[in-house]
Amino acid sequence: MSTPALDGRAGDPGRTVRVVIVDDHAIFRSGLKADLDPRIEVVGEAGTVEQAIEVIGRTRPEVVLLDVHLPGGLGGGGREVIAGSAALRGTTKFLALSVSDAAEDVVAVIRAGARGYVTKTISGAEITDAVYRVAGGDAVFSPRLAGFVLDAFGTAPADIADELDKLSARELEVMRLIARGYSYKEVAKELFISIKTVETHVSAVLRKLQLSSRHELTKWAAERRLL
Amino acid sequence: MTTVPVRPPLVRSSDRIIAGVCAGLADHLGWPVRMVRIGMAVAALAGGAGLVFYAWLWIMVPTADESAKRDARRPASPIAPAVSLPPNLAPAVEPPLWSGAYAPGYAPGPVPPPPGSSARAADPGGYTPAAGPAPSGPYDAGIPSQPPGSAAVPGTGAWFRVRNMRYGKEILLGAGLLLVAAILIARLLGVEVPLGTLIPAAAILGGAAIAWMQLDETRRAGLVDKTKADQAGGWARLAAGLALVVAGVLVMVSGSGSWEQTWLALLASVAVLGGVALVLLPWGLKFWRDLETERAGRVRETERAEIAAHLHDSVLQTLALIQRRAANEHDVVRLARAQERELRGWLFRDPARDAGQLSDRIKAAAAEVEDGLGNAVDVVSVGDTAMTDRHEALVQASREAMLNASRHGGGPVSVYLEVSDGGAEVFVKDRGSGFELHTVPEDRLGVRESIIGRMKRHGGTAEINSSPDGTEVRLKLPAAAEDNGEGKS
Repeated sequence: MSTPALDGRAGDPGRTVRVVIVDDHAIFRSGLKADLDPRIEVVGEAGTVEQAIEVIGRTRPEVVLLDVHLPGGLGGGGREVIAGSAALRGTTKFLALSVSDAAEDVVAVIRAGARGYVTKTISGAEITDAVYRVAGGDAVFSPRLAGFVLDAFGTAPADIADELDKLSARELEVMRLIARGYSYKEVAKELFISIKTVETHVSAVLRKLQLSSRHELTKWAAERRLL
Repeated sequence: MTTVPVRPPLVRSSDRIIAGVCAGLADHLGWPVRMVRIGMAVAALAGGAGLVFYAWLWIMVPTADESAKRDARRPASPIAPAVSLPPNLAPAVEPPLWSGAYAPGYAPGPVPPPPGSSARAADPGGYTPAAGPAPSGPYDAGIPSQPPGSAAVPGTGAWFRVRNMRYGKEILLGAGLLLVAAILIARLLGVEVPLGTLIPAAAILGGAAIAWMQLDETRRAGLVDKTKADQAGGWARLAAGLALVVAGVLVMVSGSGSWEQTWLALLASVAVLGGVALVLLPWGLKFWRDLETERAGRVRETERAEIAAHLHDSVLQTLALIQRRAANEHDVVRLARAQERELRGWLFRDPARDAGQLSDRIKAAAAEVEDGLGNAVDVVSVGDTAMTDRHEALVQASREAMLNASRHGGGPVSVYLEVSDGGAEVFVKDRGSGFELHTVPEDRLGVRESIIGRMKRHGGTAEINSSPDGTEVRLKLPAAAEDNGEGKS
């Protein structure tokens, strides 16, 4: 997937970010490691749920690149790793990484607490950018995730901006542009707002996606195995 | 009885004095009508047996017209004749004629007919092959119309076996009735018949016969289809057979003894049966479980074979191609993308979803462009709608836009489809160097005709937004056909 260059203010690009890669395919882990920017330090790798929880607890990375589908544990995959690392919630951030396009997988891992979602075909530069963005506290939305959000919340704007079950008109605009393949910078330019404001909107959408008690959300995701 | 006499079907003739019964019977048996009529009259004098028999045939045997109608409506079926054939009662003729003639008063009418009619109605095809079309005809015509459980025996050989067996049943029944008649006559003549022994023996034989018939039928049904209803009926019959046998054995063993003895014997037999069941149950269960495991294993094996076949036809072929073209990066990427798309489609397909939706068409167009030009085309869709002619135009315009974006933009193309109540929108975005619409030569029809013109003709709008960072084509098709889309941004 061609996640647009997540350019703009992506955290603090100067510093080193410590990451852990969790994926059950060793080939993919080594390939990803080779692709990542040298400023990103891979401090640990894991291939199963148990290993992942242990390695994350020991190394306390800033960002975990987390595969949605993982063997081991109770079969919950990436969700289980996030739940198992609840003690580190404040310091460690999770970026979901998946070969699956299935809405239920993606929405489940986001609702479990991941700060973003990218597909595995993403380029090294793009994933580096996404890692910095997540490390900086922002959310990373691929066009596909934005499409899921629009499909799940509906495309009609909410009257009250803070309503959890709907997106505000501005948030809808941002999501639509991201779904159309715009980078954050391009979104900002298109809507005449700052990149920081775009990031705020995206984080607000992420929060709604995670916290909304909208019962249709889960049902919707289960029905949409196809997307 | 291995040869089948070819006889005309037993129907009531139109050449009649009262109801055409005698003429039809004569026709069927090949006897002179006069003889049959005289025989019937004589039998009527023998305690009214002839009258009863005549009335019974009158009720049960259809006229020629009725018979033809039923045959036309329900194709003859050799497998479930009782269901799909009219009760011609052809074989019912001989035994009742005899028993009826000899024991009119003792074999009351209602007793023989029910078993006779049901058992024989089950078999008219055997006696009267002429009733149906050609011998093989009933097969093809009959099978689809049958209940699933009974369509069990495809094959002429099997049919003959079944038919022969049915003949055997007919003969058995006839012999039984003759025996009853003989006993009754013997009693009438003052000969002492040990009924106390004969009745239980008959019960045992009958019960065993019922249970064994059941065995044969369930096995046949089980080969093809296990219908619950069939199973229930089978169990009922088995239970009835068992009850008959047990009752018969009890009465026989206890003789004409007191109730106490009978109870004791019942208790003892139940205890013995229980003990045997207790011993055999674990074996039975184990056997059953093995059978189930084996069946589940076979299902898994079939699934595995299907997956293996699919992977072989798709993924392995693509991998082989990729190895051969390893030098050409462009080809490798294209092959990998195409294979990924195909595999995804196969893994996540939903049979319940019909494929004619707009999003499917847009995705198919994207796949086509991707295969043709080698640049990735990613589609994100929100909402969906059924295809119409106008949507077809939208798909064509989108395809043209994707082609342009892929050809001139270079690099991946993003496609976003949103369908809402207001209409359908498609956005096609690339990251090429952009172009100015007015710099495109007039004779180049791609953008002007295929995208903008096509959308306008179908009441939609097309907008092209190009900058040095890339180009985005925005296509909009309002929901209502009459809405020309003016005033939309």
